[in-house]
Amino acid sequence: MSKPLLIKLLLLVIVFAVVPLALEGFGKGYYYQIATLAFVFMLLAASLHLVTGVAGLLHLGHASLYGVGAYVAALLGSKYGIGFTIGLPLAGLGAAFVAFLVALPTMRLMSIYFAVATLGIGQMLFLVFQNWVGLTNGPNGVMLFDGIDLFGVAINSELGIYYVVAAVSAVSILILNRLSHSYYGNALRSLREDDQCTAAMGINVTVMKIQAFVISAFFAGIAGALWAYTTGYISPNDFNFSQSILILTMVVVGGLGSLPGVLIGALLLILLPEVLRYFGDIRNIIVGLLMFGAILFLPKGLFGEVNALNFARRLLGSAWSEDNSEKGIGWK
Amino acid sequence: MFDPYFLQQLAIGVSLGMIYALMAIGFTLIFGVLNVVNFAHGEVYTIGAFAGLMAITAFAPPLLVVLFIALAAGAFAGFGLERLAFRPFRRFSDEASLKSRAMREATLMSSLAMSIIAREAMELIFGSQFQSVDLAYLINKPIEIGPITIVNGDLIILGITLLMLAGLQWLLKKSPIGMSIRAVSNNALGAKYCGINTDRTIIFTFIIGSGMGALAGILVGLYYGAIFPAMGFTPGIKAFVAMVMGGLSSIPGAVVSAMILGLAESISTSFMPSVWSDMVAYAFLLATLIFFPQGLFGARRERV
Repeated sequence: MSKPLLIKLLLLVIVFAVVPLALEGFGKGYYYQIATLAFVFMLLAASLHLVTGVAGLLHLGHASLYGVGAYVAALLGSKYGIGFTIGLPLAGLGAAFVAFLVALPTMRLMSIYFAVATLGIGQMLFLVFQNWVGLTNGPNGVMLFDGIDLFGVAINSELGIYYVVAAVSAVSILILNRLSHSYYGNALRSLREDDQCTAAMGINVTVMKIQAFVISAFFAGIAGALWAYTTGYISPNDFNFSQSILILTMVVVGGLGSLPGVLIGALLLILLPEVLRYFGDIRNIIVGLLMFGAILFLPKGLFGEVNALNFARRLLGSAWSEDNSEKGIGWK
Repeated sequence: MFDPYFLQQLAIGVSLGMIYALMAIGFTLIFGVLNVVNFAHGEVYTIGAFAGLMAITAFAPPLLVVLFIALAAGAFAGFGLERLAFRPFRRFSDEASLKSRAMREATLMSSLAMSIIAREAMELIFGSQFQSVDLAYLINKPIEIGPITIVNGDLIILGITLLMLAGLQWLLKKSPIGMSIRAVSNNALGAKYCGINTDRTIIFTFIIGSGMGALAGILVGLYYGAIFPAMGFTPGIKAFVAMVMGGLSSIPGAVVSAMILGLAESISTSFMPSVWSDMVAYAFLLATLIFFPQGLFGARRERV
């Protein structure tokens, strides 16, 4: 068995066997909540990775698109009785649609201006969540009483919910991984490095940026739907600016442009506060200090982009080096 | 001719705009010199408010002394912030790394980390609730002028801000340190070659900008009588918007945009529920970015 296959299998075993067994062993709902939270944020960080890490657009409003997904899922579920099976993709599409509308005017903005525009749009969406009481129920939030209902099969046990969340996020992260390590991803990386040069090479920069933004928003929306269905209650404060910053921190601490790094960053920032519960009130300060330390001492992140690319090439490259056709695909 | 209520909103708008202007100046000065956004500016504002509050509860000095204490605390916070969050990332001063995106993002994130640490530390020390301010210090005593009623805070904020703006103008145009600030923000490397101590200039920029931010914090704290650890966030974003509208490194532009924002926000409350008034600032931001990408008053800039 080749080494790359071994790594994939190991990851699958950990996600779908070791962690659930451990959770069952602890036997407390609280640990399930943390596991779900970790998956939701890993998906969010992976989707932000596509925009900020790979395409190099500093995005300061990601949590609001996540919020759009959560509200679409929760409102469809609680007001119109549309269940998880249809609500999940609809949440993704809703977020993607909002992102498309946002992207049309803002995509020609440069670096810091784009960051400011996303910040403004994030705050606007937050105000809508908080103040459009007729639609979003305002600061009281939305209660979602229906559990996860997968193709007519109601899933009520904590273990079942864990498996649904883990499967949905794993598939989404896999898609994002393939996207960021493909020709498409390489084109995005090239426009990150020099967009004028990329445009001169015949790549439509604006369209590429809009696509990356919309795809990322789609997966953020999926994460939002998972969050709404697993907690059963969402409120505007789950999607405010500090959440956007938290997701951005995950991406930066893990390593800009590195998907494995981003996942490690997300796990670290979700699990660390829980591990540090022992320290009580100062745990948030410790998180801040760690973020600062990571930026100061590990400027490329925990698992930098170069490492990540080498890693991905070894994983994907084995299939490609076995390709004997005339054309030859990908890197050797 | 005018509705008294409208005039009253106008007075509130002027005060609000002045507060945003004081904060936006700090943002603009620091962006001009370093080309990075200082995300911890909102926390400096909060530190100013809390320093004033502590002075009031400890030994009840006159108002002017409270303001000076806030100013000093802000200046000190700015100094510490520069040393901790910005200095370590200026190890390399060649042109490529001055303009590099990675370095700018690192400073952005480190100032963000500092703001988290500062906010959480304040929450730990003071608790996240509103702190009440001694009523004698509140600057909201009503003054009747004809049909409208303003509070003495409006006049105090107006006076202090005008004083600070005049002082800043003198500082930047006439004093050696101000001239070196302008030189560094015009061309950091060139200023260095001409023998300007850029490090010292950057520290002074932080001290001046943060002092003004802290002053805005204590003024707002005394105007509304509410001081709490998260109070710096919204004004921070508004000041940031004002900076962008003004064209990122133009101080007069930032001040004018801050006034526009403050007035638009207070006048908008006559037309819509006040919870939506924040929307006006963001709408302004987006309109500016889309139709005037260089800011309303900014000169053409190099693509950064």
